[in-house]
Amino acid sequence: MVKSLFEEKLNSGKFLVTTEIGPPKGTDTSELINAIDLLKDRVDAINVTDHQSSVMRYPSLGGCLLIKERGGEPILQMTCRDRNRLALEADLLFAYSRGINNILCLTGDSIDVGDHKTAKPVFDLDSVQLIRMVKTLESGKDIAGNNLKGAPEFCVGASVHPEADFIEPQLVKFEKKVTAGALFFQTQGIFDLSSLRRFMQFASQFPVKILAGIIVLASAGMARYMNNNVPGITVPPAIINELAGTEKGKGLKKGIEIAAKSIKTIKDEKICHGVHIMAVGNEKIVPEILEMALAG
Amino acid sequence: MIVAQQKPLEEINRMIDPYEKILIVGCGTCMTVCDIGGEREVALLSQALTLLQTTKGTKKHSFYISTVKRQCDPEFVELLKEKLSNTDAVLSLGCGIGVQAIAEKFSDLPVLPGVNTLFIGMTKEQGVWDERCAACGECHLENTGGICPITRCTKGILNGPCAGTKNGKCEANPNMDCAWIQIYNRLERLQQLDKIRQYYEPRNYLPLQRPKRFINNALYSAGETHG
Amino acid sequence: MSTSLNAESLVQVHQSSDRSFMPPCQVACPLHMEIREYVDLVAQGRIMEALKVIRNGNPFPAICANVCTHPCEEACRRGQVDSPIAIRALKKFAVEYGGDRMIQTETCTKYSEKVAIVGSGPAGLACAYYLRKTGYPVTVFELHTEIGGMLRVGIPRYRLPQYVLDIEGERLTRMGVEIRTNVRVVSLDLLFELGYKAIFVTVGAHQSLKMEIEGEESPGVIDGATFLREVNLGFRPYLGKKVGVVGGGNVAVDAARTAVRLGSEKVNILYRRSRNEMPADSVEIDMALEEGININFLVQPVKITRQNGKLIVTCIKMELGEADSSGRRQASPIKGSEFDEEYDSLITAIGQIPSLPSDFKIGTGRGSTIQVDPVTLTTNRPGVFAGGDAVTGPATVTEALSAGRLAAKRIVDFLQHKYPEREKDKEAITTPLLEETIVNIKKLARIDPPVLPAKDRMDFIQEELVYDWKSAINEARRCLRCGMGAEITSQDECASCLTCLRTCPYKIPQVNPEGIVEIPVDQCLACGLCVTECPARIISLRKPADYLDNVEEVLKNTRVINNNPLVIGFGCQYGIYGTGTLEKLWESKGRIQIIPVLCVAKIETEDILRSFIAGVAGVFIAGCGEYCAREKTAAIILKRTERVKNILKQSGINPVRLRTIFAGKDVDPAKELDKFIDDISRLLLTQAISREVKT
Repeated sequence: MVKSLFEEKLNSGKFLVTTEIGPPKGTDTSELINAIDLLKDRVDAINVTDHQSSVMRYPSLGGCLLIKERGGEPILQMTCRDRNRLALEADLLFAYSRGINNILCLTGDSIDVGDHKTAKPVFDLDSVQLIRMVKTLESGKDIAGNNLKGAPEFCVGASVHPEADFIEPQLVKFEKKVTAGALFFQTQGIFDLSSLRRFMQFASQFPVKILAGIIVLASAGMARYMNNNVPGITVPPAIINELAGTEKGKGLKKGIEIAAKSIKTIKDEKICHGVHIMAVGNEKIVPEILEMALAG
Repeated sequence: MIVAQQKPLEEINRMIDPYEKILIVGCGTCMTVCDIGGEREVALLSQALTLLQTTKGTKKHSFYISTVKRQCDPEFVELLKEKLSNTDAVLSLGCGIGVQAIAEKFSDLPVLPGVNTLFIGMTKEQGVWDERCAACGECHLENTGGICPITRCTKGILNGPCAGTKNGKCEANPNMDCAWIQIYNRLERLQQLDKIRQYYEPRNYLPLQRPKRFINNALYSAGETHG
Repeated sequence: MSTSLNAESLVQVHQSSDRSFMPPCQVACPLHMEIREYVDLVAQGRIMEALKVIRNGNPFPAICANVCTHPCEEACRRGQVDSPIAIRALKKFAVEYGGDRMIQTETCTKYSEKVAIVGSGPAGLACAYYLRKTGYPVTVFELHTEIGGMLRVGIPRYRLPQYVLDIEGERLTRMGVEIRTNVRVVSLDLLFELGYKAIFVTVGAHQSLKMEIEGEESPGVIDGATFLREVNLGFRPYLGKKVGVVGGGNVAVDAARTAVRLGSEKVNILYRRSRNEMPADSVEIDMALEEGININFLVQPVKITRQNGKLIVTCIKMELGEADSSGRRQASPIKGSEFDEEYDSLITAIGQIPSLPSDFKIGTGRGSTIQVDPVTLTTNRPGVFAGGDAVTGPATVTEALSAGRLAAKRIVDFLQHKYPEREKDKEAITTPLLEETIVNIKKLARIDPPVLPAKDRMDFIQEELVYDWKSAINEARRCLRCGMGAEITSQDECASCLTCLRTCPYKIPQVNPEGIVEIPVDQCLACGLCVTECPARIISLRKPADYLDNVEEVLKNTRVINNNPLVIGFGCQYGIYGTGTLEKLWESKGRIQIIPVLCVAKIETEDILRSFIAGVAGVFIAGCGEYCAREKTAAIILKRTERVKNILKQSGINPVRLRTIFAGKDVDPAKELDKFIDDISRLLLTQAISREVKT
């Protein structure tokens, strides 16, 4: 049984496009709403991040509710960093009750990289255990074995890191997530399509949909910063150089070009099932990218 | 063994401020091994505090020193009795256990902690100690080739690795190896990679409920009291 | 172990007892002198104290310093690393620089029993010295006109100058010993009748052995002992151009070298075995070869004939066979290998035996030597003791001194009716250094004292000169201080933290099979690093000799004057007073008080803090740096001072007030110190001004 609109699209065989928005650090959701409105009809689903990079923000669940209100299709990103199993289960029940049916299950970045460095890291569960938890709730029980009065249903996704420098353990983890019940995967930022191809050779044996993560860079400095400070991202030197070589002020344009080119190639060559665009605060440019990449 | 770090001198000085006669007590076991609170460090601290007094121009405190073999056993703590008759406060350089053991035995005396207890760890080389055990009560080392994911993985996950590993190092601390890469390599070496392919249930935190107590029935006789 | 002490009177918790093992040098020395102790004192530049230690164990250091055969050097374990310490030469240095000549020994007569000593060789003189010191009236009877025995008549002047013996004789006389020369004692009964209660017979072995070959009585054949005696007494016999010397011991070599000095152009030593078996001192043999003397090995004279005023010496070639009981290979003649050689003179030096008047009525044994009980030195006549060459046959000076000392003790036992106790010796180091230890020791070449070149030696002036100050001390510094190393004094308090194991530059501490940490006494080189690093403070040196106990005294006695900062310095004793690497410190302009320590790595953090508590303006540590004879010391002290600076910062004291100065090629310790003093003065001035501004 199809649990959500997004799952329908997953099954439809079309080239999938998702994107993500980071909520504000505060109660002023005006920009968030603007971004939602800009993107809701242009993409198949929108992720709302959950304290991405361990920086405290307006909750992902709140962002997803807003998307729902504005008529878009939300994907709730849920990390294990800040909540124990009771809180996670409760949030899942609530999300389902408000029509949020897509979950991206993540372990979560460590506390140290964020802005509340003295906080207690929870990590009661990891991403695989979270996927299983969703599946357990769907079966009508909580993970302590108690019966539920009303069970949720979700389209479950997870993340994978095809460009990891030591790939074997990542593949082991990927398989565990598939076995646990994930239907779709959004990858970490892809910069080298050949590594994506190699990954797909392995991943295509599983009945899951892979969306390649595309990060839009605005400058060489931003690329370097991400390399050093953002977990899971490695921008290759060639791209940094390309960005460094552009005229001042034209960095973002270059970034958009690079991103669009990748998306086009992935679509044309059917390397994987779709893309997940991460504009990192520059959500306004997503339509431009899509036009550049998908027109024609 | 237990590893700790001495508190900054200013902080210790602030703690002892209300008291005049202070007995500094060291511990002859873990704290001696990591050279934080043994016989030598106790003497050194007494001198450093005296020096601080001298430069501040005050002469508030008199320091006395003593070291017992282990502060975590009541029989050894008992040996401090005579020295405490002329003491206003005890500054213990033992781990948190020691401080509390002394406080429990001599409940009329303020007992101050001179060190911050950090972890249970092993010596890597002279002067370097790494945490190795979180005392989680559910040892999982059989499945990870002898490498503990709770203490050596920042997130302490059981189905690792996460995506934050880069060049074999952890996203949180580029000087720390990613435990799960280590585990993968070790299991490969032991030809036990099926262990990392297994799904591990969420941890059972029941053993960690505090306060914790362990009774070894082979040693314990109900009704017998200790000194 | 717990100590409840008020921190202000914190006393170093060092053990004060001596638990050291006897080092191999001391074991090998017939007098069991405290060689390790006096060599260390020399290394520190404390020469007069070194001489005191020497005189404690040896009544005539000036004599031994020249002629001792130094069995200590053979046993010296430094020899396993590079070369043995030049102990004899260092003793000579101490004798000269320590003012041995000026030392007089105070005595008074406490007892009435008179003791007679027959013979004034080293054994007799030593016995006289010790008996007189104890307070007994002593008379020494000497056959010749001058005292000294073999020292006077047997050892050439270029090895032992005349005046050395004369000074000792003079000293003994001043002590109250009655010396009667030119007296031949023919009967011991007579001595007893004259009122002597005990007699020490020590007539030496002066009678040369005969070769027992045909023609031995020919003119031109002279025995070595007689030859040397005559030369020492002032005669200058002419031996002709070509001289042969038969024998391989010191007498033979001395005779050969004397013959060269008397003008003979060609001197051949004829020895029946090879160089390996020659009992003479190796250095002497080398010097003889330098002087142009030739040694014919594996030959033995079998006949002498006189022809045309020359001696025809028929020799036979020898070959070496199996080793005998003494370990030396036996020589046997090769049949039919006789050959003739022409000489102007032939000196025989194949050994000496004692000759006793039969009226002495004492039992003799093999080689005509007097038989004595080895513990009490008594002969078969009650009250008559014997020692020296007369008992052992030709032996060394030091062995004779040892016999004389023992005889004095036994005579005292006899006269006071005391039971002659056997001396209980301290435990000794008997094992060699392990390869693992040797590989970590810094290699330093042996520095020998200067010697006159061969061409300048053709006279009877003393050929070996004395070290200069720096050479002596640098040589003494190589000593490994065997047997006084570190010891874990309380296994119960040992936390087995393994700090000592990891700190030791020589990798000496070991975990034994039971899991207990031990520091093997025969490998530890007493550098003291583990003592200062042990977190439980339970390691101490078996024989601490530190100045650090003085810190309180020094601090108590120095007052702080505000406008002339007092700076305390911990300086390496070896570098400041000894080797000279740090002597430039004295040229600094500041008001400094130096506390010498035996290697700066032994300074503990607490000692530095104590100085600041006492209110000094600054503390510096001056070490030998790259010139240190030990390992890792600069690195250790730098780590330690970092620790102290941290504490100083947290205590409100500017860490600039603590400085380390290491001697080095491009470093002038005085300039460094001056810079330090300037920095402190500036700091104090700023503080004073800011105080004034506040008020």
